[in-house]
Amino acid sequence: MRVRLLALLLPSLLCAQSLQDFEKKVTEFTLSNGMRFLIIERHEAPVVSFHTYANVGSVDDPSGESGIAHMFEHMAFKGTPTIGTKNWPKEKAALDHIEAVYDKLDAEKRKSFRSDPKKIEAIGAELKDAIATADSFVEENEYDRIVESNGGVGMNAGTGEDSTNYYYSFPQNRMELWFLLESERFLHPVFREFYKERDVVREERRMRVESSPQGKLVEALLATAFEAHPYRVMPGGWASDIDNFRMPEAELFYKKYYTPGNITIGIAGDVNPAEAKRLAEKYFARLPKAPLPPVVRTVEPKQEGEKRVAVETPAQPFLAIGYKRPSQYSSDNAALDVLSDILSGGRTGLIYKELVRDKKIALGAGSQDTFPSGKYPSLFLFFVIPSSGHSIEENEKALYAIIEHVKKDKVDDATIARVRMKLRAALIRKLDSNSGLASELCAYSVNFGDWRKLFTELEEFNKVTSDDVLRVAKTYLIENTRTIAYTQAPAEGGAK
Amino acid sequence: MKGLLLAICFASGVFAQQAVPSYKDLKYPPLRQVKIPEPASFTLSNGMRVFLLEDHELPLVHGLAMIHTGNLFDPPDKKGLSEFTAQVLRSGGTKSKTGDQIDEELENMAASVESAMDETSASMSFSALKENSDTVLSVFKDVLTAPEFRQDKLDLAITQTRSAIARRNDDANAIPDREMMRIVYGPTTPYGWQVEYEDLNHIHREDLVQFYRRYYFPKNIMLAVYGDFKIPEMKEKLEKLFADWTVQQPDVPKFPEVSAKPAPGIYFAEKADVTQTFFAIGELGGTLREKDYAALQVAANILGQGFSSRLMSQIRTKLGYAYDISAQWAANWDHPGTFRIGGSTKSQSTTETLQAIRVELDKMRSTEVTARELDEAKEGVLNSFVFFFDSPAKTLNRVMRYEYFGYPKDFLFQYQKAISAVTRADVLRVAKERFLPENLAIVAVGNPKEFGKPLSTLGKVNVIDLTISEPKSETVKSDAASLEGGRALLERAQQAMGGADKIAAVKDYSQSADMTMDPSAGGMKIKQQNRWVAPSAFRQDQDLPIGKIIAYTDGKSGWLSLPQGVMPMPPPVLKQAQGEIFREWFSLVLSDRDRSRTVNAAGPNAVEISTAEGERVRVEFDERTGLPIRQIYKETAMGGPPSEVKETYSDWREVDGIKLPFKVLIEQNGKKSGEAAVSEIKLNTGIKAEELSKRPEPAKK
Repeated sequence: MRVRLLALLLPSLLCAQSLQDFEKKVTEFTLSNGMRFLIIERHEAPVVSFHTYANVGSVDDPSGESGIAHMFEHMAFKGTPTIGTKNWPKEKAALDHIEAVYDKLDAEKRKSFRSDPKKIEAIGAELKDAIATADSFVEENEYDRIVESNGGVGMNAGTGEDSTNYYYSFPQNRMELWFLLESERFLHPVFREFYKERDVVREERRMRVESSPQGKLVEALLATAFEAHPYRVMPGGWASDIDNFRMPEAELFYKKYYTPGNITIGIAGDVNPAEAKRLAEKYFARLPKAPLPPVVRTVEPKQEGEKRVAVETPAQPFLAIGYKRPSQYSSDNAALDVLSDILSGGRTGLIYKELVRDKKIALGAGSQDTFPSGKYPSLFLFFVIPSSGHSIEENEKALYAIIEHVKKDKVDDATIARVRMKLRAALIRKLDSNSGLASELCAYSVNFGDWRKLFTELEEFNKVTSDDVLRVAKTYLIENTRTIAYTQAPAEGGAK
Repeated sequence: MKGLLLAICFASGVFAQQAVPSYKDLKYPPLRQVKIPEPASFTLSNGMRVFLLEDHELPLVHGLAMIHTGNLFDPPDKKGLSEFTAQVLRSGGTKSKTGDQIDEELENMAASVESAMDETSASMSFSALKENSDTVLSVFKDVLTAPEFRQDKLDLAITQTRSAIARRNDDANAIPDREMMRIVYGPTTPYGWQVEYEDLNHIHREDLVQFYRRYYFPKNIMLAVYGDFKIPEMKEKLEKLFADWTVQQPDVPKFPEVSAKPAPGIYFAEKADVTQTFFAIGELGGTLREKDYAALQVAANILGQGFSSRLMSQIRTKLGYAYDISAQWAANWDHPGTFRIGGSTKSQSTTETLQAIRVELDKMRSTEVTARELDEAKEGVLNSFVFFFDSPAKTLNRVMRYEYFGYPKDFLFQYQKAISAVTRADVLRVAKERFLPENLAIVAVGNPKEFGKPLSTLGKVNVIDLTISEPKSETVKSDAASLEGGRALLERAQQAMGGADKIAAVKDYSQSADMTMDPSAGGMKIKQQNRWVAPSAFRQDQDLPIGKIIAYTDGKSGWLSLPQGVMPMPPPVLKQAQGEIFREWFSLVLSDRDRSRTVNAAGPNAVEISTAEGERVRVEFDERTGLPIRQIYKETAMGGPPSEVKETYSDWREVDGIKLPFKVLIEQNGKKSGEAAVSEIKLNTGIKAEELSKRPEPAKK
């Protein structure tokens, strides 16, 4: 008996220890304008990774402007009044002129039935010229060029439902350059080439959603499962909203949400914290203090019954099932995480063993405890890729049998022990990459108020018992709140 | 006063907002010297090369073995064999443990052992927390040295691959690159071919065992281990651990040469369910070893690597045609790689985008790049050079790879020097010599109905057929020896069943059976009566929950009686019934007496019996008794992909002096679908074919 107890204690002891060690490497400070910095020292190699975590995402897109958070993310690479221009005063005037012409166009279009097609055409041509004039002052992709020619690697950005992230790595001696470039783009971004970039963003949607069977499926699942909350729209937004973005809309969005108090920065690698702090003051203190942006007020109403949605595609079938679950702040969060690992972690997960390995009815199958994101109530997601010759129905039935099983029988201690072990090891494995650390610490700091949660979360996992797992399975994996989305071949003679 | 106030405000303003320099004025201190760790390397007494590197940052130990083999060694009729070997090496377990037991054991330790196959190498890796690293190492060794390749996991891998083949055209994004590679390397060469359904039928456990034996031996393996350990201790551990693994094999032959000829042109495949056209443009490239590698790298970077490249600037930023567009000089270590351009654009701008790419390509070939472009491209490589050394794993991997492919140890620094030396003239020269528009295969996949300008504006369009080829009726190797072997096996079976003459005397039979479908296939119970009259009249009466179903055929046509009424037998059912008649017990085991049938040995205890009409079955015999215990054949269900049916016979009982099976297990694509228990078999009842052919009377009102 004593041996068992010890084994149970071991993981949390180790986690406390690694937190103590790790804490020595982390320096945290907040500028007077509210911008927070997390500096993680790792002196193994003279390189540094930078991560800017903006606490804004597609949930903040105003109605009719879905995808605008993502659109701004693209604009953040377009430069400033000093980067990316051949002649800023002239370019500024040309950019203003574009908007004046576009206003005229919109005014004519708003006349609706009474608008004059000829006028629209004429203003359209004028707009094209205005854009061409502005483009002639552009020093193309200068922002990117500076980063790349200075040895920056892994430069990119991503917009999610709850956050927007900007990141890349530099050789250690280019640290100041990062401070300069990053502060400039959030201090005074120039929305140049806005309408070309709008086309690029539209292409991105075509690639990720419209031309991908899984993309279409996820879009349908979310739009069906959520009736009111903005999780119902994917971060890319709807095609028609993108097609009609206006530059001032993106600018307004930026001004409202990119305030220093809403931005957290992670810097990990060969960095001297005192030097980082000095540079942070020098460059980022310039951002004026501003009120925090509003939070989403729409709460998803309770789901009152199962929903199903079919997506027609000639592709082989896919199945996705989402059950409503509370946000990441729920006291059941850890138990749901453990449940998901029991269901689909590695090759010992119940779903893999049953559907893929033993019954061979699925090519792949799994679960995700939080989807699409965690700040607000979301979905506990299951997905199945049926094997050739096996149907959606067959897989759906088999999946429900597994779900019924975890709602009826407690999992054994060995399974719980395995999941704890895996979660602990996963944490340790996260600690060996600068870019991973910079991003993880930001995410935990913003989402939970303290980066230490990355470590202390492990204790919460260790407290989860098989009773808890049973309880959350019974509470949340219920028919009434589930949404089933699947693909099917178009009916004969139907649309292609 | 005013003035003073103003001055104070001004001063504090300046103070709060320190002047920020332009990026052009920033001065960079020299980069701190990079410490490049030197891995320890040695050879174990069994011949295995080992590289070790300590890294004490985290309590983890990792390993990576490179095995000198690759999918280039796949036999042409068993494409995918190497991949199956690597997969089942891990999943199929070892002599002492099943793969499932290993899964559990490893995951209990949050550890992994994985096995994979590449074009020119195979790999096996492990990762463990330090506290379990000894146990995980021994599992790693067990998997590497004593794999069991259990049949069930080969079946799983084959099922998975079959599904993957069925899905390979679903994602339009994945198609152009794949098709371009096939065209550039030649679709019938090991560099360009792809695994088809057909291959799956030829791959058996024994093939995996043979592939493994040939390539997985100590002298053919390099093992790198890095992490939280002490080198001398790890060295001793590995010596001990692998001391008993001493198998030897002749040196592995060279990989086949790339033999493709350029096949330039425009290739197009239609996909109606997309709004974008995905494209890949490519031609044969070079190796890392060649002297122009650095210049080619710089040229390709200027053309299409990163956000500031020409393609990105022109096609994404200026034209807004694409989100994703890039060019790459993808060199290989030991054989020519490719020069390729890839991306996607909305259907309407397909042709315009391809034209715009061509313009950029021509510019690269006709005019020197600007000094700034050259500098920036070179600086990009040189300034980011430090990232080659930012983790011990990268260093170790590189050292091992250089040795594997026979590169000098300082190759990376030679490359650094070569990059520094590249001139604008070099870039123009290599672009002219190696970016050859006349050799480019342009592959596009999209919805032509939405194209603005038709693709044919660019030239003749070759249509790519994406249809996934059904397995051809395969033939085992046929020669005098296999024919002789086939006859011998059949004769032994005839003997075991009671003698050829007794079998030949059977002119009809009637068999009653209870079929239980597997729960996964519906779990139905069906009562059956099967009747056969030589040579080819067959009738099956089935009692289903929904009512009676009767099928009759004379081998050329037939009818079906369903609860709804009687109908002529539809072609797919007839095809299936013809197969049943072909595989009828009594004629099947006497196939050596039937001129229309060919019997070839297909292994020490298997024959393949086929007809010119395309019927084919593999019959396997019990090694001990000689009885035909299994039939494996292919069947195409209505509208579905062909499936492999496996019938396994047991419970042999004697009926009128002939041994016949009373239990049949039926599997489809490696998955149990049903089981039949025979309750009665009557031979030579005297019934005539005409009686079998009688249709049931329509039900009276």
